[in-house]
Amino acid sequence: MTMAATSHDTPVETAAPSTRRQPDRTYWLLAPGVLWMLLFLVAPILMMVYVSFWTQTTFKIEPTLTLKSWITFFSSDTYLGALWTTVRIWLIVLVSTLLVGYPAALFVGLFVKNKTLSTALLVLCVIPFWTSFLIRVLAWRPMLGKEGAINMILMKLGIVTQPIEVLLFSELSVIIGMTQIYCVFMVGPIAFMLGRIDPSVIEAAQDLGASFWRIFRTIILPLSMPGVVVGAIFVSVMVLGEFATSAALSGRKVNLLGNIIVTQVGSLKWAFAAVAGVVLTILMGAVVAALLRVVDLRKEL
Amino acid sequence: MRRGSWPELVGTKVSAVLQLKNVHKAFAGVPALAGVDAALMDNSYVSLLGPSGSGKTTLLRVIAGFEQPDGGEILFAGRRIDGVPPHERGIGFVFQNFALFPHLSVAQNIAFGLENRAVAPVTDAKAVAARVRDMIGLVGLTGLEDRAVTQISGGQKQRVALARTLVTEPSMVLLDEPLGALDANLRTRMRGELRTIRERCGVTFLHVTGSESEALAMGDTVLVLDRGRIAQATDAGTLYSRPASADVARFLNCYNIFSGAVSGDVFESPVGRLALGGVRQASGRPAYAIRYDRVAIRPRDAAAAGDEVRIEASFVASEYSGAAINSFFTLDDGRVFEVETHLSHAAPEAFEEKARYALVWKREDALVFV
Ligand SMILES: Nc1ncnc2c1ncn2[C@@H]1O[C@H](COP(=O)(O)OP(=O)(O)O)[C@@H](O)[C@H]1O
Ligand SMILES: [Mg+2]
Repeated sequence: MTMAATSHDTPVETAAPSTRRQPDRTYWLLAPGVLWMLLFLVAPILMMVYVSFWTQTTFKIEPTLTLKSWITFFSSDTYLGALWTTVRIWLIVLVSTLLVGYPAALFVGLFVKNKTLSTALLVLCVIPFWTSFLIRVLAWRPMLGKEGAINMILMKLGIVTQPIEVLLFSELSVIIGMTQIYCVFMVGPIAFMLGRIDPSVIEAAQDLGASFWRIFRTIILPLSMPGVVVGAIFVSVMVLGEFATSAALSGRKVNLLGNIIVTQVGSLKWAFAAVAGVVLTILMGAVVAALLRVVDLRKEL
Repeated sequence: MRRGSWPELVGTKVSAVLQLKNVHKAFAGVPALAGVDAALMDNSYVSLLGPSGSGKTTLLRVIAGFEQPDGGEILFAGRRIDGVPPHERGIGFVFQNFALFPHLSVAQNIAFGLENRAVAPVTDAKAVAARVRDMIGLVGLTGLEDRAVTQISGGQKQRVALARTLVTEPSMVLLDEPLGALDANLRTRMRGELRTIRERCGVTFLHVTGSESEALAMGDTVLVLDRGRIAQATDAGTLYSRPASADVARFLNCYNIFSGAVSGDVFESPVGRLALGGVRQASGRPAYAIRYDRVAIRPRDAAAAGDEVRIEASFVASEYSGAAINSFFTLDDGRVFEVETHLSHAAPEAFEEKARYALVWKREDALVFV
């Protein structure tokens, strides 16, 4: 048999383009979902944008359109500071969940060969979620406090002589708390993608002579990227909308956009809360859009 | 396609590229390899035939270095390699499911080994491109260089997997059921191609398969693996006509086999006493085997000649397969007896269902294992 014959025959193997026409009737299946989204997602967002242009006085709000709330927001150091803090904490938490979560996911998804065990380990990651959010956040106080567990251990070991005060009621405590709470949302998707890698693909790379780091960089990391992006989207959306962790662990020192919204709503400043809400929504939209550019999820999943 | 017969290879020391000596491997106490001995000649095509679960994949993984043997020696080009990591062995592995890198293109898959190996990587992009191009030409993938490996057919994936290994110039290539995932048509075509590609590269291929026709068609030497041991190692012609035991004969799928015992000049089988003529082979377990195509079907009243063995059976059905027709009979003990008649010798005869016929063969055509 000759090679010429081979290349001549190859086109036969290419599949005919598949036609994927569905009867129009099936679109009705989308109706409940679309209706739900319109009613509870699109409509409130439009309403929020609308309200942000209303006129706010101390005790009441009128549907007269004005830019006043927007101008106040962008000329106030407090609010711009909150925006900057939100972005900064989001970035730090995103990086630290990735740094803590990726190795954990690598262990669970790739090095634990037993499927039952790796599922069990993932479930273990979720156990903290069996308690309420508030308890999980507040549990950090006795850990991080001046006379908390960490300071006591460090002093007993003689590593420090004075308790470290910056551990609690600071930006650091907010970051530590958020990293712990949201890490599992990073671990899950990454472990899922890593678990889908065929072990023989890694063996093939080994057989071709690549070292572990080469294999990690050229095979494992690229194949896990969709998981990283999905995890980053989860963590970003949740951290950007956060207010409870900073309220509980920062002693009101750290103000996020979420905290601003809560305070404004509490004092019935609806127009102002709406401005912060629109800014936050745009920020989240931009972050998610940017993350989706990193990989083509439709292709990878 | 057939080459002249090769010398018996077990025990041959000269020009053996790979030698296995008493290789053992057990999983959780259950032996998968129970003392494998073999020697593979340099620059040859070796096929390894064995039923599913006989330890074929395990043996390949032990040779490649993905599994450590529990005992025994593996010598490659005269050097002991058990304990050497896979990438330092110079042995290529083509996986059963191809195991292509799903995020890389055809050309990138093939270039992977050259660019990323720890030992002497090729850093010059032009040199890599040139070697990849040559390899793509060799395996017949020209025009598909930039295609994603998820967007090519099974046969093309097979070629990428082979090219990816060959481009690193291994001294030997292990192929685990390489044609198993392909459809029948493509499988036949790839057989010829694999042989051609191997001849051009001049390295030894060890091709694992569960199909006896594939093993016989492809191997200069055929190793038969049975329950973790090499049951026979010889050229295809010898294997087909002189299987070393009843088990090997059974894998070949072309022998009717009776169990029983030899007493004097006859073989006592469940279907009666069969007179003995030809050679007897020592194999440990007594059995009597007669090839499907050595049996003649005659009317019940036809007499048998002096040197013939005759049994009776009732006709069940026949299966037409182009050049031959296979007829199935049930014996008196309920077992099925198969006869293959080549149509070049005679026009197909029509047999009557459930009617009894005489099945006749020459004494010396039978294989007797004692
Ligand atoms: N990783 C493993 N763990 C446990 N048992 C295994 C493993 N790999 C193979 N085996 C067992 O070893 C025997 C041989 O398997 P294998 O080499 O895959 O056979 P084949 O490839 O010939 O079908 C089988 O009984 C199989 O169950
Ligand atoms: Mg196998």
